[in-house]
Amino acid sequence: MQTVKMVISGAVNAGKTEFIRTISEIEVVSTERPATDDTRLIKKETTVAMDFGRIAIGDDLVLHLFGTPGQKRFDFMWEILSEGMLGLIILVDSTRPETFRETNRIIDFFMSYRETPYVVAANKQDRPNAWSPDELRLALRLPSHIKVLPCMATERESVKNVLLELLDVIMQRSED
Amino acid sequence: MPLVGNIRDFGLSDFLYLVDRGYKTGCLHLSHADDMASLYFDKGKLITATRKDDNVPVTDLLVRKGKLTPVQATQAAQAHQAQNGVSLSQVLVTLNLIGRDELQRVLQQHIEESVYALFGWNEGEFRFEQGQRPEPTAPIMPTPLAVEHLIMEGVRRIDEWGRIKDRIPNTDLVVKFIEQPIERTKGINLAADEWRVFARINGKDTLAEIARKTGMSEFDVCRIVYGFLTAGLVDVIRKPAPVPMLATGRPLAEAPRVKKSLVTRIINRIRGM
Repeated sequence: MQTVKMVISGAVNAGKTEFIRTISEIEVVSTERPATDDTRLIKKETTVAMDFGRIAIGDDLVLHLFGTPGQKRFDFMWEILSEGMLGLIILVDSTRPETFRETNRIIDFFMSYRETPYVVAANKQDRPNAWSPDELRLALRLPSHIKVLPCMATERESVKNVLLELLDVIMQRSED
Repeated sequence: MPLVGNIRDFGLSDFLYLVDRGYKTGCLHLSHADDMASLYFDKGKLITATRKDDNVPVTDLLVRKGKLTPVQATQAAQAHQAQNGVSLSQVLVTLNLIGRDELQRVLQQHIEESVYALFGWNEGEFRFEQGQRPEPTAPIMPTPLAVEHLIMEGVRRIDEWGRIKDRIPNTDLVVKFIEQPIERTKGINLAADEWRVFARINGKDTLAEIARKTGMSEFDVCRIVYGFLTAGLVDVIRKPAPVPMLATGRPLAEAPRVKKSLVTRIINRIRGM
């Protein structure tokens, strides 16, 4: 059985757990615990280790989805999760500009190791005060070749679209 | 919907960059304690700015600065009432009550000072109303102002590491020009120290090396580069590490090169979900 891995990262409360929950075939293995620091102000429970979801591609191939913990003190987990990943999805809470700097820090972190195929998903686009993907691109200063996609992590079609766009980027780098 | 936030989290210079690169038209409203300011943009360029205590028609401003008599101000206001869709600034020039260049100079100086003071705000709510235009009587500049110039001057007034470190966390970063900086540099006047740093940018030297070569302090170099960075002239990148290592001491595996056939299988599976 071959497994491939995609990583979903982003700041606290960006929607990583929800994203995986929406598309995973199995009940998401999530190690959410009551928040014990300032993240308590944002959500009652936050991801302190990681989320894990799974999509069977066939009898011999399975796609694993890993959600990284959002807090800075779990940086070491990002390193471990990034090893051997096929691609990366950076989720952004489009309604909270106070998380944009942290999002940039996360992108910098992953890109500092190697040129991983990645896309940015502008989550919570259904909220009235959401920044549009174009505005997020400018706010995060992302180069034009990086896809910034509208996303609603609670909707399966939206999550599928983000995954397919990432796979398109991966396809362009893959070999015959 | 308006873009809302706090400049503590998304700085004024970052917002000006967004307005510039997004060719935004609208008004950025800022409020901090009892103070308020409104900056109006047309296709990414600043056309006017007002502060809470200084929200007056252009004619009042010019009378106050001795550039117009009260009689001339009344004459312009009457002529303006008879016209539709024309700013009072335009009427002043059309009636030859003030030269276009002189009007630009006076208004630009006034507006720049209003905006520069805002860079001193460490926090404050912002709200950007797309498409909102200033009152026709507002002190609208004949020639809109490029924001790179404002950013550079605003950043010159930053005297703390805190904000700089958000973009430049350490001095081991390499500075490189963005792909086409030449067009953007046209509206910017650099001070002597800024030229010294600008001339040392080669895509290889780190900030620490530039500081050493110019004999300037690391803080001054970082502050200047922060200005270039915020104005969209340069980028800072990490020096490529020879072998990426995990915290555990093990080398990080290379990104897997996957077969197109495998990616196609995953795509087909997800499409079918």
